[in-house]
Amino acid sequence: MILTAEKLGWKVRGISILQNVSLDVEEGETLGLIGPNGSGKSTLLKLLAGILTPSSGHVSLQGQAMARMSRRQVGQTLAFVEQQSDTFERLTVRDAVELGRTAWLSALRPWSAEDDRIVREALRQVDMSGMEKRSWHTLSGGEKQRVHIARALAQQPKILLLDEPTNHLDIQHQLSILGLVKALPITSVIALHDLNQAMTCDRIGVMSKGTLLAVGTPTEILTLDLIRDVFGVTARFIRDTDGSHLIRFQSIQ
Amino acid sequence: MTDITVERDRRIATRRISYLLGSVFLLLIAVALGVSVGETSMPIHLVGQTLANKIFGASYVLDPIDAGIIWNYRLTRAIVAACCGASLAVSGVVLQAMLRNALADPYILGISAGASTGAVTVLILGIGGGLLSLSIGAFAGSLVAFLLVIMLARAAGGGVGIQATGLIILAGIAGSQLFNALTSFIITRSANAEQVRGVMFWLMGNLSGVRWNDVLLAVPIAIVGVCICIWHRRALDAFTFGADSAASLGVPVRRVQAIVIGTAAMMTAVMVSIVGSIGFVGIVIPHAARFLVGPRHARLLPVSALMGAVFLVFADIGSRVLVPNQVLPIGVITALVGAPGFALILIRGRRIR
Ligand SMILES: Nc1ncnc2c1ncn2[C@@H]1O[C@H](COP(=O)(O)OP(=O)(O)OP(=O)(O)O)[C@@H](O)[C@H]1O
Ligand SMILES: [Mg+2]
Repeated sequence: MILTAEKLGWKVRGISILQNVSLDVEEGETLGLIGPNGSGKSTLLKLLAGILTPSSGHVSLQGQAMARMSRRQVGQTLAFVEQQSDTFERLTVRDAVELGRTAWLSALRPWSAEDDRIVREALRQVDMSGMEKRSWHTLSGGEKQRVHIARALAQQPKILLLDEPTNHLDIQHQLSILGLVKALPITSVIALHDLNQAMTCDRIGVMSKGTLLAVGTPTEILTLDLIRDVFGVTARFIRDTDGSHLIRFQSIQ
Repeated sequence: MTDITVERDRRIATRRISYLLGSVFLLLIAVALGVSVGETSMPIHLVGQTLANKIFGASYVLDPIDAGIIWNYRLTRAIVAACCGASLAVSGVVLQAMLRNALADPYILGISAGASTGAVTVLILGIGGGLLSLSIGAFAGSLVAFLLVIMLARAAGGGVGIQATGLIILAGIAGSQLFNALTSFIITRSANAEQVRGVMFWLMGNLSGVRWNDVLLAVPIAIVGVCICIWHRRALDAFTFGADSAASLGVPVRRVQAIVIGTAAMMTAVMVSIVGSIGFVGIVIPHAARFLVGPRHARLLPVSALMGAVFLVFADIGSRVLVPNQVLPIGVITALVGAPGFALILIRGRRIR
C-alpha cells in the first residue's frame, strides 16, 4: 500500500469533524472522493497530506508512519493542490511553478538545468507553456488552477492529492487535467463534485458527515440508492451510444 | 553537457561575487558620506587619513579633536545606522512573508514598542546592567508584544484572508500604543530618571549616544540575522501561497516560523536597545526592493538589507543637517519619507485585489 489511513479522526474545539476513516490507496490508481459540501473531503485530504495532524489514528506513506518522516521527505513523495489558495505577491507563473522544486533543493543541491527542464515540462503538461512570464494576479481562475497543478507536478511526487482540481476549469481543460492525472504513472486521490467525472476514476470513496461510507469501483458505489441517501437527489442512468452510463439528477420534491 | 553546466555555474558565481563587491562598495560610500557630512563637515581625505591611522597604523598628522569626532562619533554612528537599517528592512521582509501581509513590519506590529518596554524595564529594575542584558530585555519584550498581537488578532476572528490582514494591523496598533504607554509610564514614574534615556529616544529613535561597544553588538547581530534569513530564502518563498502550501511543498513550517520570526525579533530588539524604535524602514524598503527585483527572497533579502542600510545612513545625515544646530530624532526623518511611501503601498495594494 502506497498510502494508508488508519482510523483517522480529526477534532476542532471539541467538535468531531472526521471520524474513524480507514483507507488503503493502491499504487498507481486514481481514487475519486465524492460527498456533499461539508462532508469532510478537504479535511481528509489535508490529513493525508500531513497538513493537519490527526486527533486519532495515523497515516502511512509507503509503509512508513508519516508522523516519523521529515516534512522534506513527505514533500518529495506527495504533492497536494488545495481547493483554494492565492497570494498578494506579484510573482510570475514560472516563479509559482518553481516553488514545486523546494523539497528537492538544498545548499548542496542548488537549482540546476534539470530543475529548469522539470518546470518547463510541468507547464507544458497543463498547457501553460506560453505564459511563463505572466504575472500571477493577471491570470484567470482556471489559469491559476492549472499553475497550481503544474507546481504539484514539478514536485515529481509519487502521490498526488487534488482538492476539486476541475472547478474554475472550462470543459476542455477539465477533461485534459483529469486525463493527464489518470495517464501519469502516479497514484492520485481527487476530491470531485461531478459524479460523471468520478465514474471515470479507478475507485471511488464516498464521504458523508465526516465518515467514509464506502469505497469501491464506480459501478459498485454509484447506485441510485446511495446517491439518494448521500446527496439527497434522485438519479437515473442513461446509456450512451458507446455503451457507457451517464447519470442524470433530479431534486426530490 | 557538463562543460555547459560548469560554465554556467562559473558565470553565476562571478555574477554573485560582483554583486557582493558592488554592495560593499555602495555601503562604504554611504558610510564615508555619513562620516563626512555633519554640523562641521569633515573632508573625505581627512576621513580616509583617520581611518588609515586607526586601522592600518599609518601616521598622518591630524587634529586629535577632528580624529576623535570621526573615529568615535561619526563612524560608530554611521556603522550602527547601516546595521539598524539592514536589520529592520530584513525583519520587515520576513514578517511580510510569514504573515502574508503586505503591511507587516516590526514597528507596525508593536515589536519595536515591546522591545522598548523590555529594555526600559531592565534599565529601571537594574537587572544585570550592561548592553547585553538590555538587549535580552528588549528581545523578551519584543516576543511578548508579538505573541500578544497575534493572539489578539486570532481572538478577534483572524485566520487568513483579507479581513485578517486588517485585523492583525489593528491588533498591532493596539499593541504598540499599549507598549509605548507602558514605556512612558515606567520612565516617568522611575525615581532615577537620569539613568534612563528620555521617552523620545525610545519612541522615535536617536543615534547620538552610539559608541564602539554598540558597534561591536550591532554588526554581528545584523550580519548573523541577515544570513539566517537568507539561508531560509527558499522556505520563505514557499510561504507565498500560505503555510499549508509551504508544508505540502516540504517545508517544516513550525520550525521555519520559529527561526525566522525569532531572528526578526532578535534583530529588531537589539537595534531598538541601541538606538530606540525607528519606524517605516521595515515596510517601505522591502516594497521598494520588491519593485526593483521582484518577490523571490534570494534577491529580495540581500537587496532589502543593502537598501535599508544605505537609507538609514542617509536618514541619519538628514537628521543632523536638516535643522541647523539641532539633531532631529531619526524616526522623524524615516516617517517623513516613509509615510508617503506607506500610502503608496496602500494604494498599490488595492489595485492588486
Ligand atoms: N478549522 C475548522 N474549524 C471549524 N470547522 C471546520 C474547520 N475545518 C473544517 N470544518 C468543518 O468541517 C466540515 C468538513 O469540511 P471540509 O472542508 O472537509 O468539507 P468538504 O467535504 O471539503 O466540503 P466542500 O465540498 O464544500 O469542499 C465542514 O462542516 C466545515 O465547516
Ligand atoms: Mg472541500
